[in-house]
Amino acid sequence: MAHRNIKIAVTAVVLASAFGFMMWTTLRDGAEYFKHVDEVVAQRSSLEGKKIQMHGYVIPGSRLTKPNTLEWRFKVQNNPIRSGEPGQVMSVSYTGIVPDTFKDEAEVVLKGELTKDGGFHTDPNGVIAKCPSKYEAAAGGAPSGS
Amino acid sequence: MANLGTFLLLASFVLCAYAAVASVVGARRGSRRLIESGIGGLYLVAALMAVATVVIINAFLTDDFSIRYVAQESETLQPFWYKITAYWGGLNGSIMFWVFLLSVFGSIAVFVNRERHRELIPYVVATISTVEAFFLYLMVVHKNPFSTYLTAAPMDGTGLNPLLQNYWMAIHPPSLYTGFVGMTIPFAFGLAALITGNLDDSWLRAVRRWTMFAWLFLSFGLMLGMIWAYEVLAWGGYWGWDPVENAAVLPWFTATAFLHSVMVQERRSMLRVWNVTLVIVTFFLTIFGTFMTRSGVVQSVHAFGDDPILAKLFTGFMVAILTFSFGLVIYRLPLLKARNELDSWMSREAAFLLNNWILLFSAMFVLFGTMFPTLSEAVTGERLTVAGPFFNKWMTPVGLILLMLTGIGPLLAWRRSTTKNLVEQFLWPVVTGLAAGTVAMLFKIPLWSAGLCFALCGFVVGTIGQEFWRGTVIRRKNTGTDFLTALVGLVGRNKRRYGGYIVHVGIVLIFFGFAGNARKLDEQAHLKVGQDVKIGKYTIRNNGVKVSDDGQKQMTTAYLSVFVNGEQIDGLYPARWAYRHHEQEPTTEVAMRRTPAEDLYAVLGGFDLADQSATLQLVVNPLVNWIWFGFGVLALGTGIALLPERALAFAVAKMPAEAATTTVALLLIVLIGGARPASAQQGMGGTEDTRASFYARTPFEKQMQHEIVCTCGACGHQNLAECRKDNCSTSHQMRGELAAMIDQGKNHDEIIQAFMAKYGGEEMLGAPIDKGFNRLAWLIPYLVGAVSAVAVGFAAVKWTRKIEPQAANAATVDAALDERIDDELRDLD
Repeated sequence: MAHRNIKIAVTAVVLASAFGFMMWTTLRDGAEYFKHVDEVVAQRSSLEGKKIQMHGYVIPGSRLTKPNTLEWRFKVQNNPIRSGEPGQVMSVSYTGIVPDTFKDEAEVVLKGELTKDGGFHTDPNGVIAKCPSKYEAAAGGAPSGS
Repeated sequence: MANLGTFLLLASFVLCAYAAVASVVGARRGSRRLIESGIGGLYLVAALMAVATVVIINAFLTDDFSIRYVAQESETLQPFWYKITAYWGGLNGSIMFWVFLLSVFGSIAVFVNRERHRELIPYVVATISTVEAFFLYLMVVHKNPFSTYLTAAPMDGTGLNPLLQNYWMAIHPPSLYTGFVGMTIPFAFGLAALITGNLDDSWLRAVRRWTMFAWLFLSFGLMLGMIWAYEVLAWGGYWGWDPVENAAVLPWFTATAFLHSVMVQERRSMLRVWNVTLVIVTFFLTIFGTFMTRSGVVQSVHAFGDDPILAKLFTGFMVAILTFSFGLVIYRLPLLKARNELDSWMSREAAFLLNNWILLFSAMFVLFGTMFPTLSEAVTGERLTVAGPFFNKWMTPVGLILLMLTGIGPLLAWRRSTTKNLVEQFLWPVVTGLAAGTVAMLFKIPLWSAGLCFALCGFVVGTIGQEFWRGTVIRRKNTGTDFLTALVGLVGRNKRRYGGYIVHVGIVLIFFGFAGNARKLDEQAHLKVGQDVKIGKYTIRNNGVKVSDDGQKQMTTAYLSVFVNGEQIDGLYPARWAYRHHEQEPTTEVAMRRTPAEDLYAVLGGFDLADQSATLQLVVNPLVNWIWFGFGVLALGTGIALLPERALAFAVAKMPAEAATTTVALLLIVLIGGARPASAQQGMGGTEDTRASFYARTPFEKQMQHEIVCTCGACGHQNLAECRKDNCSTSHQMRGELAAMIDQGKNHDEIIQAFMAKYGGEEMLGAPIDKGFNRLAWLIPYLVGAVSAVAVGFAAVKWTRKIEPQAANAATVDAALDERIDDELRDLD
């Protein structure tokens, strides 16, 4: 019986450590920092070169696209403009097709990294605009959580 | 009306509390009357919730905007159908819908089992009532769907978001909820078994069917969500490991595990603790998924807004579930001791065990990945997230191992397999697997992971084919009937087993579709008029961008031609629609060319009307339609496994051999008939409302629209000007092509020639063919389908009845036969 228990214990330890190691390595590659615009601006130096998901709101009227190309330039800020305290602003570049929900004041998550010139470069297909949720009241911009 | 609704919810809450208490007290004191009153309470809650449902649907239909929830989810102009689906469209209503479903399912489960499982029933009633009471409490104190405005009510509601006013979105939530809610029933029985200590296998028999039923709807709901994502969200994929998707798939993993391990307990009386645990975990995950997606705990673009109060209430409830359930499991551990031990790792129970571990691992892993941002923030203070690639890296090998086990399990014998057995069993499946792998290699498909996936698909199909073949051959030898009768008899005698194999075929098809991802192509291009772009074997040309308006919305459509080897094979018409009052949020209408081999998927990302240039996203998705088809097969298999005991009995008992063959032939006709509308539906993707598309701009166009007939087959051969009643995307497309040709300045004959070349022969010409008999021809498939359905129904009823008098006789014959078959199948089952 003791022999059997040892066998089970050894197997469990080997499996657990192999699993843990794989998890650790894949997580190191796969994990991305999730930051709001304010945090990205504040921690700029430490975040450079890292994969980031940046959360913010599109500044109305800031979306520009170069005619006959897929290039986009726009600005995001930490809070929606109607909140009164918009917070920090970040310029963003992106090349590709944007989703329907990407519009002025849209809540977006951008996947990409910081550029040398202080902006943010978004990966291909890295623009995720907030899914219009059925579970939220959008009545005239009234706060949700009814 | 709002007051009535609120009152009904309050009354239901009080009744639930009473039913729970009365049942428990009744069971402890042995008072039959109290127990019965508890059951009555449960039924009454179902009745009250049904009335409340009627009240809220009525409020939606009569545009009663004094009710806050109605004003938020509906508007006067909302189509009838979407007014009804708005019931479960928002958070408050979805909770109410949840309680309604649970009260109905709970009542049915109690009604069906009240005699057979008398000792369990009081606690089943108590558990169900408690869960209902929790959700009713949520509504009463915090999320009342009947709450009204204190100030003046708005004149009109804000309406459902246009993206959600979609066929798939209308039926996806109820299906998913049915699956989620259905999982409460096994939990209630499991808990009752734990409380009463009746831990033999009888509670399993009561819940087996319920679990299958709930599992079917869960699978179906997942598929509908995938189709919606694929056809409406326009990003070219169907699964993105989003928290909301993950929440739905978590209980699916554990429920699948339970459906397998339950067989081990039935057969070998092992894994008893495990099964109870799986039932509890599955139920917990349904609640957890609800919590995760509605409380704002997980940060996601899909998250439904923060709600700390809801989060607290849910957390309390979940802690209570876990403490109570697992406390009971620990308390009952002595009774849950297994009667057998694992004899060998080369046995079917070992394969099931492995399958269970992997499924549970999948659930835990997905849970971990989904909660990772929250976890990492709690531990390190830094919010880290993991995305699709991380999940794929882990879940691809896990999925492949599962697929392999799908093939291995049925080949192993219970208890232990001998080496001779193994060789005999594995030979053919391995051959088919290698053959499939070789074919994949010939197509230059990379071995990891698609090539391996194809090989494993071949292996599993080999296994299942062999199972059916051998079983049928043996049965044929024993009964001396023809092959088809033997096959039907085989399936009929062991519906769960062979239904399960058919489910496996569905799983294989789904994996087959997943493997197509390896060859997915994705291209973004900006095309001026006349410019080309190549993707895969296709060349896409932009013929221009046009704007049309139908009064409800402005439609900007890109006219694309698809060429293969220099020859035009099709046209694609991706569009963007801007609805009135929603001009700022145009919807993207995907255009697709669907074939079994691959989908060509086109999205109009942007356009410039000045030079008619279009920005396009083009995707080639190989094999994707096999996923949907696989789900269909899966549903068929589950349906067979769910059939009541007496169904198909006619084929099992003694009867004329031809009868079964005829039945099968008829069944096939029904299936083919049934498949027709399904395939017709597939063509509809992307175009929602085509009633108003392409009104004739000139008399010439009008004349042409009347001359050409829609080829979709659903409209009864109307001409293009007429076929606007339904979602006929074919007519929409044909009108578009016609408009394009007229714009190119083609004359009458050229246009007719072009249409004949494309749609073949004179089929689409209005005048010569659209008469009497030909109209009938369109109806024939449907007529045949309906008639054969009726015929099969009659035959089944008749044969089933006939057996009754000789039931005793048939039973003895059957028993002997069963014995023999079992022997010959080497105690496989």
